[in-house]
Amino acid sequence: MERAVPHAVPLGQMEVFQTLQRLHMTIFSQSVSPCGKFLAAGNNYGQIAVFSLSAALSSEAKEESKKPVVTFQAHDGPVYSMVSTDRHLLSAGDGEVKAWLWAEILKKGCKELWRRQPPYRTSLEVPEINALLLVPKENSLILAGGDCQLHAMDLETGAFTRALRGHTDYIHCLALRERSPEVLSGGEDGAVRLWDLRTAKEVQTIEVYKHEECSRPHNGRWIGCLATDSDWMVSWAEYRMGWQLQALPAEGLWLMVAGDPHLSAQVCGGGPALTLWHLRSSTPTTIFPMRAPQKHVTFYQDLILSAGQGRCVNQWQLSGELKAQVPGSSPGLLSLSLNQQPAAPECKVLTAAGNSCRVDVFTNLGYRAFSLSF
Amino acid sequence: MVRRRQSICRRLWSFGDVASLVCCRDSVRTICPQNICSLRAHMEGKYYSEEAEVDLRDPGRDYELYKYTCQELQRLMAEIQDLKSRGGKDVAVEIEDRRIQSCVHFMTLKKLNRLAHIRLKKGRDQTHEAKQKVDAYHLQLQNLLYEVMHLQKEITKCLEFKSKHEEIDLVSLEEFYKEAPPDISKAEVTMGDPHQQTLARLDWELEQRKRLAEKYRECLSNKEKILKEIEVKKEYLSSLQPRLNSIMQASLPVQEYLFMPFDQAHKQYETARHLPPPLYVLFVQATAYGQACDKTLSVAIEGSVDEAKALFKPPEDSQDDESDSDAEEEQTTKRRRPTLGVQLDDKRKEMLKRHPLSVMLDLKCKDDSVLHLTFYYLMNLNIMTVKAKVTTATELITPISAGDLLSPDSVLSCLYPGDHGKKTPNPANQYQFDKVGILTLRDYVLDLGHPYLWVQKLGGLHFPKEQPQHTVIADHSLSASHMETTMKLLKTRVQSRLALHKQFASLEHGIVPVTSDCQYLFPAKVVSRLVKWVTIAHEDYMELHFTKDIVEAGLAGDTNLYYMALVERGTAKLQAAVVLNPGYSSIPPIFQLCLNWKGEKTNSNDDNIRAMESEVNVCYKELCGPRPSHQLLTNQLQRLCVLLDVYLETESHDDSVEGPKEFPQEKMCLRLFRGPSRMKPFKYNHPQGFFSHR
Repeated sequence: MERAVPHAVPLGQMEVFQTLQRLHMTIFSQSVSPCGKFLAAGNNYGQIAVFSLSAALSSEAKEESKKPVVTFQAHDGPVYSMVSTDRHLLSAGDGEVKAWLWAEILKKGCKELWRRQPPYRTSLEVPEINALLLVPKENSLILAGGDCQLHAMDLETGAFTRALRGHTDYIHCLALRERSPEVLSGGEDGAVRLWDLRTAKEVQTIEVYKHEECSRPHNGRWIGCLATDSDWMVSWAEYRMGWQLQALPAEGLWLMVAGDPHLSAQVCGGGPALTLWHLRSSTPTTIFPMRAPQKHVTFYQDLILSAGQGRCVNQWQLSGELKAQVPGSSPGLLSLSLNQQPAAPECKVLTAAGNSCRVDVFTNLGYRAFSLSF
Repeated sequence: MVRRRQSICRRLWSFGDVASLVCCRDSVRTICPQNICSLRAHMEGKYYSEEAEVDLRDPGRDYELYKYTCQELQRLMAEIQDLKSRGGKDVAVEIEDRRIQSCVHFMTLKKLNRLAHIRLKKGRDQTHEAKQKVDAYHLQLQNLLYEVMHLQKEITKCLEFKSKHEEIDLVSLEEFYKEAPPDISKAEVTMGDPHQQTLARLDWELEQRKRLAEKYRECLSNKEKILKEIEVKKEYLSSLQPRLNSIMQASLPVQEYLFMPFDQAHKQYETARHLPPPLYVLFVQATAYGQACDKTLSVAIEGSVDEAKALFKPPEDSQDDESDSDAEEEQTTKRRRPTLGVQLDDKRKEMLKRHPLSVMLDLKCKDDSVLHLTFYYLMNLNIMTVKAKVTTATELITPISAGDLLSPDSVLSCLYPGDHGKKTPNPANQYQFDKVGILTLRDYVLDLGHPYLWVQKLGGLHFPKEQPQHTVIADHSLSASHMETTMKLLKTRVQSRLALHKQFASLEHGIVPVTSDCQYLFPAKVVSRLVKWVTIAHEDYMELHFTKDIVEAGLAGDTNLYYMALVERGTAKLQAAVVLNPGYSSIPPIFQLCLNWKGEKTNSNDDNIRAMESEVNVCYKELCGPRPSHQLLTNQLQRLCVLLDVYLETESHDDSVEGPKEFPQEKMCLRLFRGPSRMKPFKYNHPQGFFSHR
């Protein structure tokens, strides 16, 4: 007798589980490939999905081209941070940093090129890595996160060369002052610290929450994001010779701008208000009137883009005026990525991701064009 | 010369008018002596008032005086002229004399002029005064006119007023006087006075209505009483069943002793011959399966064999009746419509008619609860339906929220995904329905039973999708292939429903019934408490503001059951909207949270609430407990309580607010926050008992 194979488990179970997984997905990090045509996004399940920006932006784009070209399990825990060098994609989250070759990433069954773990002192819980930062001049990578230290790794040898200690709680974010080998870090302890990489010493500390103008005790003191921008700093600082440093604190968000050695500015956000800081005198210059904590901030031309709780990508004038709020599809945003790779001018877009399985794509700064989806 | 004259005049006036007038009394004969007297009297009042003088003088006389003065002046001028033209020495003296006379006349003229002015002014004042008075009277008049108009309007309004009582349909006058008691009707007063009459009629109406309301209440209580009686009788009837069963049970040894089971089985097979093919397939396969694999399955046939036999006889010819009715229809067109409706109704009944025989399957579960399934065959639609009923060994206290869990309507819904049993599985049926005006089978399933797809398969009926075909042959192999899985699913379903039933009973009383073998999943001390567990309607769930994600993801279908839980700790209230899929526990209940504490927090404005949702929704597998994981819901709720504890205890304290923290940290945590979205340590580690991040 011919027996049909019955389904022991109702089909719906897998589907429901997948739907729930997508519903509770958070995309923590994004990185654009060196060719500018692909975007990698890492989520809280440790998966990295690679989207083809060129296919999604082309005129004959279909629904499928907004789905990932490939998705693979990269880490056991969430992928908190990713950066791209000219050949590699570096991803980190649960205490390890892994390198993937961009050239092979689109093939099925891609294995990581190498993996490194910074020397941690605790063994009970592996500290996470919240931020990665490339220092191109030294060909090194800075990692920072749960163990309150900045680890510098030589990309040539893979060895950990220095550990910068000073933060009293875990570190949220890093930013580089390009013209001098100095790194800024902001953390849960509410301090933004400026490190000199040559001497491995702390040069300056700004405790943002102690400034009454930007402190917001109900939100906490943590600094969630930082940004600096040399281009902007040059043009803007020369115009106003008196200023040397600008910083913006908001709930966990720092933005630093550095140009000429004497002129630098930073923006930071997090618990305290999003603020533009003058670094030399350590005073807040502009406090942006944004209530919700900001999780990512970046300079773009003469604007400051910030995102955090709430659906919108906020565009600010340096003077503190809100120029526009562009709504996205996620209830909260965690990362913004500007694809400015000169190799792919047609893919010059702003992408924003956060508390959903979708990556919003903005072809110009005015509106959300479409969303890529896990 | 002129100057001198003027100076004289001035001097003259300085003595006062009276003096001047007295001086030239001869020439001013017209001034009346009385006037002068009164003037004198006036003078004694120390001042002289020309205004007062005006009143005393007669304007007519003044006019005469004026005319006379002018004539005198003319005459004197003429004489002077005359004298001058004559010339001579003595002329100068005469001229001087005349000049003095004319000066006096000028004085008089001047005086008259002043008097005239004063009179004019007085006249004007008087006119003005009079005019003001007239104006005031005019205003008053207008006010009065307006008032009159307003009053008239009010009167018309009153006249046009429509009283509510006009809408009340009163009993006619004759009836009123006939029926109403005299103390209401008061014929002697009301006969002549229509107002009193209406009042009395209204009184009577009220009285009558009161009586009717009383009657209505009585009827209601009567009805209640009868219902209660029926209830009691029903109870008695239902208690009869177990008693009869026990008698049957008692008689079994006798039967066995007399080898009667053979007889019974033989009889059953005999009956089975009259079963329609699909029921026969089911009967045979179920019996076979019961004998071979599952001793807990018992199969029986119910219904009247005689009726089944009768079906095979050719139907009696009712042509004559029909022609009769046709003739009748032609005669009375009025009755045509109801007849058509009845005909259609009959046709529908005929279409939905089921075979008089049905197959009963009793599936006994481990805990002695029994699932009774009755399978029917709809002859004209060629589909099978099933009615389900669950009985338990011990009497269940039915929690309010468990209402739908064991109801025959939903207990078997979605046994296989999407098989909600509300649509006919036979595509051909739709065409048959169109003919008799049935929109969908959904309206009839309560009565007929549910035509689940698995039922068709157990009966060996196979319907290709989207392809109507009329010849569907009952197939044994199809039935056999589905028998085992379906029976297992049925058992799991009943058990999971009973487990839920039990859990609900505790949940409704605010107790989360964690079993001892799941205790290790949670810390020993959980402070948050479940305070509410209620069922909510599907529509209400759709309207909640924090369930949008689930609705949009298509996880909130109308076959699911919906609940609302409330977990509390101190001032913090956590609402959880729960979707319970009929496929519980292989498909987990889905929670959506909304925390009311220092503002409203949902997954859209608080990452940690989102993380809590994913802890219960996505990481549910670690909460399943021992197989078959019927305790999942309880564990999820307990987990929710633990999560709320962690959430509240790790909330960073606002330094600017005075006073101690509301929720002191009692849980052991390695770190408070981790990662960019500042997650709290929600993962519990057994047996060390600390919390860490996932």
